[in-house]
Amino acid sequence: MASQSNIGKGDDNAEHCYRCVGTLTILRAATTDRELAAMDDGMTIDLSEVEKMDTVGAWLIYRAVRDRGAKITGESKAIRGLLDQVADADRPVRVVPERRGGVGGAVEELGEWVAETGETFRGLLGFFGAVLIGFFNVAKRPRRFRLNAVVQRFDVVGVRALGIIGLMTFLIGIVIGQQGAVQLEQFGAEVYTINLIGRISVRELATLMTAIMVAGRSGSAFAAQIGTMKLTEEIDAMRTIGVSPIEALVIPRMLSVIVMMPLLAFFAMMMSMLGGGVFCWVYLDVPPLTFIQRIQEVVPLTDLWVGLIKAPVFGFIIGLAGCFQGMLVKSDAEEVGLRTTAAVVQSIFMVIVLDAMFAVFFSSVGWA
Amino acid sequence: MTSPILSDDEKPVIVIRGLDNSFGEQIIHQDLDLDVRRGEILGVVGGSGTGKSVLMRSIIGLQTPSDGEIDVFGENMIGREEDEAKNIRRRWGILFQNGALFSTLTVAENVEVPLREYFHFSQTLMDEIASYKIAMSGLPADAGPKYPAELSGGMIKRAGLARALALDPELLFLDEPTAGLDPISAQNFDELILSLRGKLDLTVFLITHDLDTLYAICDRVAVLADRKVVAVGTIEQLLALDHPWIQEYFNGPRGRAAARA
Repeated sequence: MASQSNIGKGDDNAEHCYRCVGTLTILRAATTDRELAAMDDGMTIDLSEVEKMDTVGAWLIYRAVRDRGAKITGESKAIRGLLDQVADADRPVRVVPERRGGVGGAVEELGEWVAETGETFRGLLGFFGAVLIGFFNVAKRPRRFRLNAVVQRFDVVGVRALGIIGLMTFLIGIVIGQQGAVQLEQFGAEVYTINLIGRISVRELATLMTAIMVAGRSGSAFAAQIGTMKLTEEIDAMRTIGVSPIEALVIPRMLSVIVMMPLLAFFAMMMSMLGGGVFCWVYLDVPPLTFIQRIQEVVPLTDLWVGLIKAPVFGFIIGLAGCFQGMLVKSDAEEVGLRTTAAVVQSIFMVIVLDAMFAVFFSSVGWA
Repeated sequence: MTSPILSDDEKPVIVIRGLDNSFGEQIIHQDLDLDVRRGEILGVVGGSGTGKSVLMRSIIGLQTPSDGEIDVFGENMIGREEDEAKNIRRRWGILFQNGALFSTLTVAENVEVPLREYFHFSQTLMDEIASYKIAMSGLPADAGPKYPAELSGGMIKRAGLARALALDPELLFLDEPTAGLDPISAQNFDELILSLRGKLDLTVFLITHDLDTLYAICDRVAVLADRKVVAVGTIEQLLALDHPWIQEYFNGPRGRAAARA
């Protein structure tokens, strides 16, 4: 069986002698490393009784010789060969890329970030242009329009989202009704709950919540799909065959979100008011017919336009962010994840910023 | 050190008996037998779809065979608990066809992964071990802090080899190590494997299509065809057989060209 290496005081010539017995392999490397560290510099290492050694064992011995002036005795020819081999391979290698610390490092990082952000914006502008040209080309030559791809996207982006968006906005309708009723009751004005439900659903929340859900469902999927296709060189293959990736991949996806967003938003408005209506019926004893009549009276048509005009714009933002981030993927699987996250975060952020701008715009044109 | 009772030198490192593998209706292996002897470089050849990679995956436990026995280092590998299998896994290294480097880690960190998993070394010692393994695999020193996405195909193979050698294995599995390399890199890789085998006492299980590699470094060649290993032997021995695939393989224009080289 394998015996162990152990420390033995040399009894013949040297005062400090480290005698290895048996196996000197990776299995005993941690112990050997500690034992060698405990010896004085200039020790003698006796290898005459080593029966088996691997490169890790050889490395430890070699290092003791190199750094601590140890002397080796009694090594066999095979062991000498191993020692020579690790000595040949002795080249310090960095494990991680060099990072500058301190203020210099921070400034460098900031600079890199600024340069990268600038580059990304330029890229986005270029991508935006390429998408517009793509749309233009498709409009000019409708035969290049990929109807199948677009219809398939309609299904994935629109039809399959109905369930989750319907459920979500239905619940939101109930929450608006409930919160509104609690507050308005204090003035004895709970009948205005219907105004609140109708206007806030149609004008703001239905479109906004739909956009957030579509960004999470479809924007992320666009980034991940296109990103993975970049990694597997499918997009390069397309280019070389003469298929424009913008026309084949980006336009159908953009078109599908732009068309599906208003339809989904309208559906969301209805579901939200349905939720609110159910709440009013159960909690405020407002019969459904009265609820519908009241909604017709208090929600102006302009509210519907406000909600529906925003929807395709939000869709455009979501599609653009998803496809652009996907196209930015260059290196590896982790980047696909990062880009997907970035696509969702950026599109939701941009949607909310735009929503605020729309709110200001519409009230200043008198569609309050 | 060898056990006094069982002489390890006599026993093959890998023993496969009656191996069956099938995916649904498709039968890949049927009653396949193979021995890999200690210290040899065994080349495994066969047409596409004859199950070379499946055979390797069965041996290393990534694919559970439908039937049969696989012994590695004298231990039965099938149906083994994960904890026990770990002790055997520590003794082999695997180079996958496309490197299979972890993409979020640098080359040096990739080499350190097995070390970290099995041992508690100081970071300094691990960095040193990774350094000399990288150098031994023929990579330049500046490859250490690079990420796999920044490497060329040949460098990925070498980095994969450095990781496979991290634990000083006794047994090395190589899945098409020279595929996709230019002839010069392929030749360098052959020489690298040959020299490592000599220095580190390795047994090598080598799947390849590369006839030059077969002639240059393999001690024996196993031919996979008709769902089993139809022949094992030196190339001269194989040439004496009149199996149609073997004849076509070694006596085709490429085979003859490799034999002349």
